[in-house]
Amino acid sequence: MCDSKELLVSYLYDEIDPVAKRSFQKHLATCAECRDELAELGATRAQIATWTPPDADLGFRIIREAESPKRRWFQWSPAWGFAAAAMVLVAISAAIANLDVRYGSDGLIVRTGWNHAIEAQARVTPVDWKAKAEELDRRVRDLEQAPSQPSVVRTASGSELSEPRVREIVSQSEARQQRLVTARLTEIMREYDAQRRLDLATIGQGMTRLQNSNGAELKQTKDLLQRYFVRTALEEKEEK
Amino acid sequence: MPSTDEELVARSMGGDLDSFNQLVLRWERPIYALAYRVIGREEDARDVAQETFLRAFRALKGFKGQAKFSSWLYRITLNLCRDWIRRERRTPLVQAPEGVDVIELAGEETPSETVEQLVARHELGRAVAKAMSQLPEEQRTAIILKEYHGLTFQEIADLLDCPLSTVKTRLYQGLTVLRKQLREAGVESTFGK
Repeated sequence: MCDSKELLVSYLYDEIDPVAKRSFQKHLATCAECRDELAELGATRAQIATWTPPDADLGFRIIREAESPKRRWFQWSPAWGFAAAAMVLVAISAAIANLDVRYGSDGLIVRTGWNHAIEAQARVTPVDWKAKAEELDRRVRDLEQAPSQPSVVRTASGSELSEPRVREIVSQSEARQQRLVTARLTEIMREYDAQRRLDLATIGQGMTRLQNSNGAELKQTKDLLQRYFVRTALEEKEEK
Repeated sequence: MPSTDEELVARSMGGDLDSFNQLVLRWERPIYALAYRVIGREEDARDVAQETFLRAFRALKGFKGQAKFSSWLYRITLNLCRDWIRRERRTPLVQAPEGVDVIELAGEETPSETVEQLVARHELGRAVAKAMSQLPEEQRTAIILKEYHGLTFQEIADLLDCPLSTVKTRLYQGLTVLRKQLREAGVESTFGK
């Protein structure tokens, strides 16, 4: 039974069933070693009860509905900053140059906004620029002077888009891009502002800790002085 | 008649903020004391206590009442303390001299205890704190939960996720080491008798 420290601990804290308790008490009556150990552990328990935490100014209080920490859709980092800047540049470029008109061997290609927004492609007969430049110029002037016959762009699927319709689509695309850029810029500014507030709060906490540590040093000095005075007083008392 | 923890928890879950704050008021001292004794730093212990209640409040809807509310708080606190110890990569350190303010102690003097005895008690408390800080974390935690918070062996086993026998072994080993260290520190074992 002397080897059963679990039993000893159970008895020490009085968390033992009655049968085991009576049995252990019988053992204690005959075992001085267990009696001594029990007494010493009991005395140690009395000693450790003297350790009390320092008084602290608590008074915690939940003052409002604590928002569950919204998982931010990203954590701010320099990499994200560069990525965001790049996105802004791309968006602005797209907004400015959202109309792309090209001539090629396949004919006239019109792109608006993002690459997939509108793609109108008209297949026209290839033109020999050198030989027929003047003729083409004349035809263009003729077209401009004939409002009753609006220019038509034929799409790849075969449907036709009139010039006013193309302009309208281009205009809509420009407006859409501008809205996107504005929204993106607003979002970035909001994130930047949130990060700035967080940094300010961190700095504030740091300052508070610094002040507290200075206060602790003062308290420590005061305590040392006080102990010195107590010791001196006790020594004087002993000398007397 | 004051409301029980269970009643306050139920009302808190229904959105009653005052009820939760009553729970905070009721448990902030024990939680702070637990954190202080585990990590040994007043300022950090206060932060841990505050974070404990914030986390409890946020997770309240997930509290199913399978354990006592206090046990649930203790678990959150111990997890936070463990994180703190891991983050700081150091063993708990009891703060340097708490100081014995004789003026303050004079105010505590009772007919049964003189200032000299009060000073001795404070000195002993510091010796205990130092000895406790040198115990392995598992033994220290078990002793703190048992001695200062009065948990049962089973409650400690549940909190620390270990068998009942392990709790008793940790308590025995911890008390034995403390007894030895206090004796070496010259603390009289007759104190308190």
